[in-house]
Amino acid sequence: MEIEREIVFPASPAEVWGALTEPERLEEWFATEAELDAQPGGEGVFRWGDGDERRAVVREAEPEERLVLDWEDDGQVVLELEEVDAGTRVRVVERSPEWSTALELHALAWVAVA
Amino acid sequence: MGRGRVEHVFDALGDPGRRSLVEAVASRGSATATELAAGLPVTRQAVAKQLAALADAGLLQATRAGRETRYEVTPEPLGDAVAWMVGMGATWDERLEKLGRALSKGKAAG
Repeated sequence: MEIEREIVFPASPAEVWGALTEPERLEEWFATEAELDAQPGGEGVFRWGDGDERRAVVREAEPEERLVLDWEDDGQVVLELEEVDAGTRVRVVERSPEWSTALELHALAWVAVA
Repeated sequence: MGRGRVEHVFDALGDPGRRSLVEAVASRGSATATELAAGLPVTRQAVAKQLAALADAGLLQATRAGRETRYEVTPEPLGDAVAWMVGMGATWDERLEKLGRALSKGKAAG
């Protein structure tokens, strides 16, 4: 399962990249507490106000272009940046942890009937 | 499930207003019409009517709690997948909104 969102911000790719990778900036929008070593193989730890904590390993980090985090629970989030006239287009895809094969087949069969 | 029920569910999800109501319920865990209408420019009755329609489509489960009805996202296998998608979608909508504000504050300060 995955969800996808896309939005354009009136800011440069450099500014957006900073907000995506610097812990103090991440704490303004992504998580209550954030630690991130934004290079391939680097680790990230994120905590939210409700006590939730998630760990990630950086799979890809191309400055001002692409950041991919592999969650410890097998989910993944992909953030892509593209410079546009109005600023920077950000596309985010978050993939859920693997569902069991049976559930996936059930879900696919259900969607196919529609 | 028969074909009629599947079409009904996707119709309910297709209306942006209804999809965001399912997301709002999913991200809260459970909610009543009063809780969801608070702070929105819509009446409690309008929200209650849409919640009832979503429960009718099988996307939400209704439980009476006193004078109000409390809704949760339906806990079936596909309901879990839908709940994940709508919950995570709502989470990212909120994050991107905050990111936009953080970026414009950064510009104002700089």
